[in-house]
Amino acid sequence: MKITVKDLHKSYGDGDSKVEVLKGINCSVEDGEVCVLLGPSGSGKSTLLNIIGGIEPASSGAILIGSDSTADMDEKKLTLYRRNHLGFVFQFYNLIPNLTVKENIEVCSYLSKDPLDIDELLRTLGLYEHKDKLPSQLSGGQQQRCAIGRALVKNPSLLLCDEPTGALDYKTSKEILVLIEQINRKYRNTIIIVTHNDAIKNMAHRILKMRDGMIVSDIVNEEPLSAADIEW
Amino acid sequence: MMNPLNKRFPKEFKANIGRYISTFILLVITIIVGSGALIVMEGAKATIDETDVENAVEDGFFETKHEISKAALKAIEKRDIHVYENFYIKDKEFDGNAKFYVFNERKEVDLPSLFEGRLPDETADDEIALDRIFALNRNIQIGDRIDVNGDGLLVTGIVALPDYNALFLNNQDMMMNTKDFGVSVVSERTFGAMKDEGLTYRYSYRFDERDKTDKEKSDEAEEIFKILVKNGADVQEFLTAEGNQSITYLKNDMGHDGPMIKMFVYILVAVIAFIFAVLTANTIEQEAAIIGTLRALGYKKGEIIFHYLVPTLVIATLASAVGNLLGYTVMIDAFKSVYYEMYSLPPLRISFNAEAFILTTVVPVVIMVAVNFIMLYDKLSLSPLKFLRKDLKKRHQKKAVRLPAFDFLTRFRIRVILQNKGSFLVMFFGIFFSSFLLMFGIGLSPLMDHYVDEADNTLTYEYLYMLKNKVPASGGEKLYMTTLSTQYYLSGKDMDITFYGVDTDKSDSLFADACVPVEKGQIAVTDSFAKKMKKNVGDVVLFRDKNTDESYYLEIAAINSYTNNMGAYMDRGQLNRMLDNRNDEYNAYVSNEKLDIDDEDIAKFMKRDDMVGAAAQMMASFGGIITAFNVFSIFAYIVIMYLLTKVVIDKNSLYISFMKVFGYEKNEIRKLYLDASAIVTVISLFICLPLEVWFFKAAMVYFSSLIEGYMDFYLPTSVYVKIVLIGIISYFGINALHMNRIKKIPMSEALKNRE
Repeated sequence: MKITVKDLHKSYGDGDSKVEVLKGINCSVEDGEVCVLLGPSGSGKSTLLNIIGGIEPASSGAILIGSDSTADMDEKKLTLYRRNHLGFVFQFYNLIPNLTVKENIEVCSYLSKDPLDIDELLRTLGLYEHKDKLPSQLSGGQQQRCAIGRALVKNPSLLLCDEPTGALDYKTSKEILVLIEQINRKYRNTIIIVTHNDAIKNMAHRILKMRDGMIVSDIVNEEPLSAADIEW
Repeated sequence: MMNPLNKRFPKEFKANIGRYISTFILLVITIIVGSGALIVMEGAKATIDETDVENAVEDGFFETKHEISKAALKAIEKRDIHVYENFYIKDKEFDGNAKFYVFNERKEVDLPSLFEGRLPDETADDEIALDRIFALNRNIQIGDRIDVNGDGLLVTGIVALPDYNALFLNNQDMMMNTKDFGVSVVSERTFGAMKDEGLTYRYSYRFDERDKTDKEKSDEAEEIFKILVKNGADVQEFLTAEGNQSITYLKNDMGHDGPMIKMFVYILVAVIAFIFAVLTANTIEQEAAIIGTLRALGYKKGEIIFHYLVPTLVIATLASAVGNLLGYTVMIDAFKSVYYEMYSLPPLRISFNAEAFILTTVVPVVIMVAVNFIMLYDKLSLSPLKFLRKDLKKRHQKKAVRLPAFDFLTRFRIRVILQNKGSFLVMFFGIFFSSFLLMFGIGLSPLMDHYVDEADNTLTYEYLYMLKNKVPASGGEKLYMTTLSTQYYLSGKDMDITFYGVDTDKSDSLFADACVPVEKGQIAVTDSFAKKMKKNVGDVVLFRDKNTDESYYLEIAAINSYTNNMGAYMDRGQLNRMLDNRNDEYNAYVSNEKLDIDDEDIAKFMKRDDMVGAAAQMMASFGGIITAFNVFSIFAYIVIMYLLTKVVIDKNSLYISFMKVFGYEKNEIRKLYLDASAIVTVISLFICLPLEVWFFKAAMVYFSSLIEGYMDFYLPTSVYVKIVLIGIISYFGINALHMNRIKKIPMSEALKNRE
């Protein structure tokens, strides 16, 4: 799924207290690309991700999902957009603590008319033997795998990852990145990863750098490294 | 310096205003009921105790067919007992359908308490003072003229007679008869001038020694009875004050109401306390990181406990103050009127009651604070680090509960139910308690109606004439009636059973379907008797004749369907032979037509309405209370369900936010979270029904043990349907509020970085 962002503005508050978080963003991510959105805290990258995800409205400008603009969508259509096209992965996994691993994944498979086979997915994620465990019984890496499984089970055309390795150690972070890479290869979905880990850019097809609500560089990486080979 | 945490309170109260207002109102109503009812009850009790002394209430009375001899009087008074003539005239058809007793002026015993107006003038010969409740129900005012047996009398005063504070027409009656039975007093001159139709020779007695035990009083009463019989008096009725429902019913009623009201207050306060505990525990979980930070910064555990205890303390204290204030002021007349509408009481003297005050101030606050303190103490015993990690489980859940291969939705709901089992358990008790109150409120009227209908349907005659003199009466069926007593297994006390000696050889007998045995030593008993005494066919029951002290072992040969009294039926010849009477002795007639018998030959006359009509009047006086009862129950229902099901949403608001991000629609979120609460609510409603019925039946057995008669448990299906429907409708109202709340949960909640 191709994503096109056109002159996107986002501000909070009014008058003197008005804060402009996004100041006219223009960019695009091609279908099947892994795009890394880099930038320091407060640069606006998470806000941009939320607007792409239809969670927050933009103040002006447009997000084109294929040929559809999110600005023209009402609440119901936005819900359907998230339901049918998007998968979310959060920094702190945000699994539902009273559901098992398998049930957490079922939360999203329930929404899809044609979900992936959960057991197969669990095997891919290396979680099959943990499927009846609660999140509190898993390590951080296993929890993030589960969260990725939850996002993937719908086989979304766009996967949005907000600091997916932010709460993980080096080794586990690499495992997660390898997994994301495998998924991209296997399912050909577009993936946007928000991070402030500069090394992750090496595995991306496209690198967008943000500062103060603006894109300061938009680089196409012709020869991305394998996730297993990147170091930091 | 003021604790900076205190600045959070206004925000906390504002954020949870619905929770605090609804529990406050529930608590205030509970305390109003507790304080108002207890104050009035204690006031009534004190007033009656004072009246016992000031108005010289009798220790008992007897009625004889004729005036007793001087010898009998002298023999009784030798025992340091004063006997007073307390003669009265009966108007059997006052105002068309009421029974009305006009007592001669009372100078030394059972003195009337004046409510309004004045007592009849000694010099007048046409003045009367009427019982307050009878005058109220018949809309008779001071200045009206009333017709008593053809005499026109001017009403000069409204009074309460201390020997009739509960208007029981007959001592065996199940219920008071506040509309169709009344008492009054006239001056001696007026009494003398009245036609002496229906003159009854009642003698009231009082012991000179005022501190006799119940046993001594009972022994003395037996001695008086023996003296009367020995002196040839034909005793028609003999009642000690302790055995006279018209005197003791109110005292007993209050004796039982008091503990019931206290229990009601305690249970409801405990339910509210547990609701608060659940809500506060939920707040602790939500604010775990803040608590962890505060503890890490050096705040003591005690300071944190106190901080979270303050809302409970404030609500409980405020509710106690407001509840008592309203209970003592605005609501006091409402509670007084509950007693005034049912009992013929002297003017109540209400004063400050320390016990009631403590029970409705200190006790609720202590219960609320104690329950919440224990919960907080336990919750806050974890280390600050655990709070910082939001890991508030004392023992880690090792494994997820394994669920069968249900579909995803069902498993999700089960998980929500398991997650909130504590809240749902409290909700179950809350639903049980409020629907039990509701069952009582909705069920009382059909229960009474059923009793009346059954009594009406199983009464096989229209008129009962108990005779002073044996006279022939064409169309009447002869009976021999007597009263024998038997021990009631629950209380150990003697209970009077009316024996009917009926003619078993008459095919057209009005008791033809009573299955009366003809064999010696056998009886048929009424259904009410069998149920109350827990007896079956073949059981042998010991009866005692208080007059002769003879005992009889009688076998139950049949149980008939009669529910109108606690009666036993024997062949008339067999009963007479057992009592050493002539074979064909009789002392009553029953008939379906009015009989032509002179009034002076009748000791007591009763028609169908007298025997079955009192229940309807009781219901009429209960009407207002029952409505208030139902409104309160439904309110309690709603508050309890709302607060506890809201916990599910509060606890899961973050995950509900995720659901929205994932693309769940409002209705799908409802199916996941609210339907779990709905399932628990509906299951609770159904599970509670048999429990409520069990408690209701137990209450009925208890109630029956306090009265002479028996009322069978009966609730039509419609009552159960109404309870469940009210529960479900209330829940759906609440569901709508929750849906609104779900709608307001922002998706941004899910996007905040959380650990």
